[in-house]
Amino acid sequence: MERYTLKNLVAMLRSRDISSHEILEMYIQRISEHDSSFNSYITLSQDVALEKSIQADRLIESGDPLPLTGIPYAGKDIFCTQGIKTTCGSKMLENFIPPYDATVISNLNNQGAILMGKTNMDEFAMGSSNETSYFGPVHNPWDLARSPGGSSGGSAVAVAAGLAPIALGTDTGGSIRQPAAFTGITGLKPTYGRCSRYGMVAFASSLDQAGILALTAEDTAILLESLAGFDPMDSTSVETDVPKYSELLNVSIKGKTVGIPKEFFDEGLDAESEQVFLDAIKVYESLGVQFKDISLPHLGLSVPTYYVVAPAECSSNLARYDGIRFGYRHDEIDDLDDFYLTNRQIGFGAEVKRRIITGTYVLSAGYYDAYYLKAQKVRQLISQDFKKAFQDIDAVMGPTTQTPAFKIGEKIDDPVTMYMNDIYTIAANLAGLPAISHPCGFVQNLPFGLQIIAPHFAETELLNLTHLFQQETDWHQKQPPDLNEA
Amino acid sequence: MSVKKSEIAYISSLSKLKMEDAEMDNYTRQISEILEMIQQLEKVDTHDIEPMAHPLNMKQRLRLDLVTEENRRELYQKNAVVLEEGFYKVPKVIE
Repeated sequence: MERYTLKNLVAMLRSRDISSHEILEMYIQRISEHDSSFNSYITLSQDVALEKSIQADRLIESGDPLPLTGIPYAGKDIFCTQGIKTTCGSKMLENFIPPYDATVISNLNNQGAILMGKTNMDEFAMGSSNETSYFGPVHNPWDLARSPGGSSGGSAVAVAAGLAPIALGTDTGGSIRQPAAFTGITGLKPTYGRCSRYGMVAFASSLDQAGILALTAEDTAILLESLAGFDPMDSTSVETDVPKYSELLNVSIKGKTVGIPKEFFDEGLDAESEQVFLDAIKVYESLGVQFKDISLPHLGLSVPTYYVVAPAECSSNLARYDGIRFGYRHDEIDDLDDFYLTNRQIGFGAEVKRRIITGTYVLSAGYYDAYYLKAQKVRQLISQDFKKAFQDIDAVMGPTTQTPAFKIGEKIDDPVTMYMNDIYTIAANLAGLPAISHPCGFVQNLPFGLQIIAPHFAETELLNLTHLFQQETDWHQKQPPDLNEA
Repeated sequence: MSVKKSEIAYISSLSKLKMEDAEMDNYTRQISEILEMIQQLEKVDTHDIEPMAHPLNMKQRLRLDLVTEENRRELYQKNAVVLEEGFYKVPKVIE
C-alpha cells in the first residue's frame, strides 16, 4: 500500500492521472479495510466528502482549481465541523453536532480541501497516549501493542498508516510532536496565535495551538499556507503576514547556528536514543549547520509549571459542560445541583476529572499564590531562557521524546509518569514558540523523532531545516512493515 | 505535599464532580503525587519576576459592539437533549 504525499496528489490531480473522486474512494476503502486494527477515526464524513469530490473534479476540469481542490484530509475530533459530530474523544460530547466550522476547517475548505473524517484523540486532548479516549485507544501501526502517543494519536496514525495524506491536530504540551515522533511522521506546532483557535474545543487557552501532521516538511509547508492567518474571531490571533512557506524550503542552511541544550540529555534519555539523535545531527552538520552547546536552565521545570497552568485553565474552560444546552444529560434527576454533579460525573472520564480537580485546587483560596502565580513566574523564566538563547542561535534542537513509543497500558495508571512523557515538548507551548518533530532514525525498530524549536513566527526556519534534512535522508519514507504487504 | 481526602471532597464539590468513595481515595493519592511533583517550583527564586499569563504578552483586542450574526436559536438548540416550547429545561429550582 503506497502512502501518497499531498504534493503527489496535487500533481496527479492536475495531470488528470486520477480524479478527486477516485482519491476519496481509495481512502474510504482503505479506512474500511484497515482502520479496525488502528481505531484512528471516530467519525467518517464520507457521503459529504464524495459529493464534494465530484464538485472538485468539475472545478479541475474547468481548469481553475484552488490550491487544495480535491485533496482529502483528516481533522482531529477537537475541531468543530458544521453538521458533523465533534466528540472531542468524550462521552460528554458523544452526540454533539456543531452549528459552525472551526476557522482552520473553513480555511482548508475554502482552498478546496475535503474533510474525510474526524480522528480519535485523548479525551479533551488530555493525555499523551490516546488511552483516555472514550472511544478506545488508538494502536500504533509500527506495533499494534504500542501507543501512537497523544493526544493527536488518531491524526498521526491516519497519516502514518496511509489512511489520510495529511491531518490536523492540536498541541497544548506536545500533542502533535510526540505522536508524530512515535509514528515516524512530521508534526508541526506553529507559534501561539499563528492559526486560529476559533471553533477548537478549548483545553488550556494560553497553550492550545492547531497544527499539522504530515509525511514531509514540504506537505506541512503547503498546508500551513492555507491554515495560518489572522482571525478576528480569535482574540489571541496575531495579525501578521503568512509567508509562502513552500517557496522557502530550499534556502541554504549553511552557516545556521543551532543550540543543543544540555538539559535535554537527562537520565530519562537512553543511550540508544541519544545515539540516533547524534547521528541525525551529523546530517545537519554535513549541510553546513553549526552546533553549539547551550543551557536553558529552567527547562527542567517545564512539567511542573505546565501541570499547574494547564489544569487551571482546563478547570475554567470545562466549567461550561453542564448538560443543559449541549453535552451529556442524565435523566430523571429532581435536584439542580445533583443534576450538574451527575452529568459531569458520567460525562467526563478519569483523566479529565483529575485535571479539573488539580486545576480547581491550584486556583482555590489560599493556594493561588503558592501554585498558580508561582507557576506563571516560572513560565516567564522558561520563556526568558529561550529569548536569551535566540540572541546567538537560529534554533534549538533535541530529541522529541525520551524513548520511542511505549506499550498501551504501561503508564496509564500512573499519572505523574505519564506526564513526564512531554518533558521535551512542553517548554515550546509555555513560551508560545513554534516547534516541529521529524523522523530521524529508529530505536528498537521503532521510529524516533528530532525536535526543532525556533523563535516566534519562524516556522519558515523549521520547515526549511526539516525539508533539507529530508532531502538527505529517507527516514520519513519508511513505512510500517505491515503496510508494505497490505 | 499530601492532600487530605476531605480537601478532595470539597474541591470536587466546587468542581461539580460527584465521586464515589473509592474514586475519592484514588484521587487523593494521585493528586498528592501530582502536587509533590509541582512542589519543585518552590525552590525557584522568582523574586521580581513578572508573572506570565500569555505567551505573546499582547493586548486584548476589542471589536465594536454590533450585531454581526442572525439569531439561529433553533439550530443552536438542536444539541439540547431536553427542550420545552423552545426553552431549555432544568430541574425545578423554585418551589
